[in-house]
Amino acid sequence: MITEYSISVMLNKHFSDDIERIKRRNALVITALFIGVIVLAFVCLFVGSSRMSLADCFAALAKRGTASQVRIIWNIRIPRVLAAIIAGAGLSVSGLIMQTNLNNPMASPSTLGVSNAAVFGANLSIIVFAGGFLSTGNNLTSYTVGMNPFATSLIAFIFSAFSNLLVLGLCRVRAFHPGVVVLAGIAIGSVWTAATTILQFYATDVGLSAAVVWTFGDLGRATYRTDLIMAVVVAVGLVFFAFMSWKFNALLSGDSTAKSMGVAVDRLRFVSMLCASLITAVCVSFLGIIGFVGIICPHVSKKLLGQDHRVSLPASALSGSILLLLADTVSRSMGGGSALPVGAITSLLGAPFFLAIIFSRKGEHD
Amino acid sequence: MLAIKDLSFRYSSRGPAVLNGIDLELPDGQIGIVLGKNGSGKTTLFKNILGICRPDSGCISFDGEDLLRMHRRERARIVAYVPQSIHFGALSVFDTVLMGRVSFFGYKAGREDEEAVRQILHDMQLEEFAARNVEQLSGGERQKIAIARALAQEPRLLVFDEPTGNLDIANEQLILSEARRLAREKNICILTSLHDMNQALELGDRFFFMRDGKIRCSGGPEVFSEELIKDIFDAEVRVTEIEGTKYVLNGGRQE
Repeated sequence: MITEYSISVMLNKHFSDDIERIKRRNALVITALFIGVIVLAFVCLFVGSSRMSLADCFAALAKRGTASQVRIIWNIRIPRVLAAIIAGAGLSVSGLIMQTNLNNPMASPSTLGVSNAAVFGANLSIIVFAGGFLSTGNNLTSYTVGMNPFATSLIAFIFSAFSNLLVLGLCRVRAFHPGVVVLAGIAIGSVWTAATTILQFYATDVGLSAAVVWTFGDLGRATYRTDLIMAVVVAVGLVFFAFMSWKFNALLSGDSTAKSMGVAVDRLRFVSMLCASLITAVCVSFLGIIGFVGIICPHVSKKLLGQDHRVSLPASALSGSILLLLADTVSRSMGGGSALPVGAITSLLGAPFFLAIIFSRKGEHD
Repeated sequence: MLAIKDLSFRYSSRGPAVLNGIDLELPDGQIGIVLGKNGSGKTTLFKNILGICRPDSGCISFDGEDLLRMHRRERARIVAYVPQSIHFGALSVFDTVLMGRVSFFGYKAGREDEEAVRQILHDMQLEEFAARNVEQLSGGERQKIAIARALAQEPRLLVFDEPTGNLDIANEQLILSEARRLAREKNICILTSLHDMNQALELGDRFFFMRDGKIRCSGGPEVFSEELIKDIFDAEVRVTEIEGTKYVLNGGRQE
């Protein structure tokens, strides 16, 4: 005989199965993205202007090729691939966190004016201090000369971190409301842009070109040391964000509801935005401006897997790495010997995909 | 029992008092309904009880425990909130309700949290929705999910801000009967605001009439009078009693 209890057990089992199915699907997608990162990392490693064959690449990877081949793989391509994985993950996750915290789908890692401040810092370093700061880092010629590749990055970072603290500090004094934060970010960002324009107005042609070239995102600037610094900052950020996943989920229901559930909303927003902005500041300072990763990848992962941060965080990180690896591979394949700016390629690759996703949201705006 | 004594609040130090010397008592298992014009301070009163706003002076306690001195996670296990406009992220119903347990588990939900959610979904007959995306549900279903999430906090006091504001009549009845069930069966104290006075009379045990940040009158259904409603809402109504039940009808008495 079917009793009320047995019906409830059956229903319970039925919905448990559904929930398990969702969990399995999420795990599958994340595993697929992870495999995608590994595969693309190898593709990226084996594609380049030196036209090395696959066998040469494997030999060089095992440190058995010619000195030049080993150097290309170990000193140029591996740091570059690592930079793509780390910065892609960092920028994408920063974008996701900004969007959640500011309750704004158009928020990006640069919403607090971090990139504008980094550009000003780099321009100041290149135009005003010039000379030894002009190295763009890790290429065969500049790799061995004695210029300091970190000076420009350091000054860019100092300004972006300062700008970050300024915006968040101002908001903490006044109100930590998402709208206030976005407006303060726009205002401070425009100040840095104005200052950059004035600086460029007085620059020499050489200084101006060098400053403009710096703003192009370039994974070729990465070295093992810069990768390590970025990896530490991004890893700390990811671990922190992962711990806060449920609290970010609560934020999706609005500030009042999240507070009523015991979440310290203002503190969470301050710390997580600071963390996301610092990740961005570090990546931008070392690699230049790489736009769009922080908008497109979180949107794609949310579209595919929903907004649960336990899932959208790893999915965003991995899809960010994939986009940057893909963009870097394309940029090095198309550049005819020198890589095209990777930031331009991320937008070129990402925008059509992004538009397709936006316009495929059937009925949502009906 | 919820007890509020001499509660005052203003949004900025130089601004006007939004709440001014509020006194309120609501015994366990009873439904208290706050009535007043828009801007009379109802939502601000709720925000003070929930710890979203901090009062300038006064005391809010539940069963003798001072809610204002309590850690926010402890308070979340006593008072839960169902807001007027409900937003969820694109999460499954199960995860949305599980979110209500965040004050218990902090970082990672345990088996007992999941078990508590299964029980709530079963009690509220929401099991069939468990795996659905909460954003794809209707207004009434979403309201029920919001209640389920609030219940996951295991509260002793539930604050509903205009629970029937955006619902059709069928969903209104569904939510009101759910509120009644929670108060009677689980002995939860419910504080809510409603604009429909007949709905309020049907649902509530105690009524608090607010105007300009003050409670002008409180008590059972017997306090409803034409004079009181004119004083609170500046509206002419007729209050009539049919078979022992009071009804409020639009329009004043014909002279």
